[in-house]
Amino acid sequence: MITGTALVFGDDVNTDLLHPSTFFSLDERIVRQGFLGQVAGKEQAAREDRARIVVAGRNFGCGSSRETTMLALRMAGVKALVAVDFGRIFLRNATALGLPAFEVQSAPGFAQDGHPLRLDDSVLYNDATGATLVLPPPDPYLQGLVDAGGLVPWLTARGEL
Amino acid sequence: MSSSLTTRLLHRAATGQTLSGSAYFEIRPDLVLGHDATIALIVKRIAEQGGVLHDPDRLFLVADHFAPPSTVDRANILRTFLDFAERTGFGTDAHGGEFHMMQGICHQVLVESPRCRPGSVIVGADSHTTMAGALGTFACGLGSTDVLAVLLTGRTWVRLPEAVRIRFHGALDPALRGKDLALWMMGHFGEGGARYRALEFSGPEVPMDGRLTLTNMAVDCGAKNGLWLPDAVTRAFHAGQGGVWPEDLDLAEGPADAYVDAIDVDLTTLSPRIARPWSPANVCGVEEVAGERVDQVFIGSCAGGRLEELGDAAALLAGRRVPPLMKLVVTPASTAVYREAMSRGWLQTLLDAGAVITNPSCGACGGIDKGLVAAGEVCVSTSNRNFRGRMGDPDARVFLASGLTAAASALTGRITDPREVLT
Repeated sequence: MITGTALVFGDDVNTDLLHPSTFFSLDERIVRQGFLGQVAGKEQAAREDRARIVVAGRNFGCGSSRETTMLALRMAGVKALVAVDFGRIFLRNATALGLPAFEVQSAPGFAQDGHPLRLDDSVLYNDATGATLVLPPPDPYLQGLVDAGGLVPWLTARGEL
Repeated sequence: MSSSLTTRLLHRAATGQTLSGSAYFEIRPDLVLGHDATIALIVKRIAEQGGVLHDPDRLFLVADHFAPPSTVDRANILRTFLDFAERTGFGTDAHGGEFHMMQGICHQVLVESPRCRPGSVIVGADSHTTMAGALGTFACGLGSTDVLAVLLTGRTWVRLPEAVRIRFHGALDPALRGKDLALWMMGHFGEGGARYRALEFSGPEVPMDGRLTLTNMAVDCGAKNGLWLPDAVTRAFHAGQGGVWPEDLDLAEGPADAYVDAIDVDLTTLSPRIARPWSPANVCGVEEVAGERVDQVFIGSCAGGRLEELGDAAALLAGRRVPPLMKLVVTPASTAVYREAMSRGWLQTLLDAGAVITNPSCGACGGIDKGLVAAGEVCVSTSNRNFRGRMGDPDARVFLASGLTAAASALTGRITDPREVLT
């Protein structure tokens, strides 16, 4: 089971907003500082490290492929991503780093910032509203990566590294 | 032949490895593109895995983002990348891959190489890797960890995108450029409308530089890849780079049922377009925003720093000067572009008009260096993304347009419809 507070976004939120290129660095402290660096209204959330589940609209994480965006999300406590759909490379980056990502049409409106969420056995529970959201199973390849903890452990388990 | 060209190229690269119930299958890419920024992120992890690359001859490395570096942090990132390149054997000429030190933006340097062979399958650690599709390749971006896996195993996993056929026909108006077509595409699809799809373009009227802009920005409407179906223009361009045409490959368009959508665009119905802040899909006719004060014009990036844009700017600005407070920043996309523009006298013309010419690199596009914009400023840029804060202060406003529109706006200090200056 994954628990976390909701971090809610609209449509077409790109990686330059989620993590401005100024914070592209090999220094993890700088990478962490860039979390939500250009997202209006989330200044408080940007500073906190806590378990969270992202709930977003369409095309979440579109734009640049910079993996530092995903590293920053992970460092700030993001445990799972739920969106209508994701930017293609962003989805690959999430699963390559072992972060579960679910595409579900009815994600918008399911939660507001700060709502306590639980993800258990493919169902997302909103403990503030009592609402539930059934998450469609990811592709077996993507699920395999997440179960293994990411692409490198997955390849290692297959004897390819 | 019953599939899109994208499907045929991916099937050709398939190794046969599949997973039960999965839409993903394994491929062996012909070429792996990497640059200083995104490769530096995986250098340590590659070393932890033993550091032995599967096939360094398939590697195409370019120092372009932080090259030359403008901060200490970026100097260290570049150094990490260069140390990796040296360990991989790029310190000597004997290597079978390619390495380019500060020769321009990786996407441009790649298409100028004979290795960017039509029909090949290319992956790269950068979203605009899609640009190489202008030569009839399958080319898509990956994240750094995905590229780490390709470097260590020679393979990666993909699924087949649905394909959309886009045919441009009719004559191209003298004021229209590939960028206007790309902005039409962005307006048509929105930022996510082509998500996960393959866009397969055709149209003999569109020159190679414009095609490169279109396939570059295919990713900006969400596409997995953008591919221009090879024709005589492709053949001439690739031959010009010393490339050998793959006569054994069928690079033709698929039959109608290979495409989930077919769009026919009459070029005579299009007019110069511009993308307003803060989305490349926030597109309107240039005339709708004409007259707005402009503080900076940026002619550069992998989407718009080629001979087409530099030539348009030189032709328009010849014998004229931009307003005294105008910042006109010109960043050629590659050293080859820089040299050719120099030999044609265009750089002299641009300098005389008041421009500054910076070194070939990504430059101001990603807010990296040499041309960031301040709060309240307006910039007209030939680049591909005008996201809030990407090119400088979050309260700067960046408009995306063709080199012709950008140059016309530099000349007047206002957003200017190029048709007004051309007639």
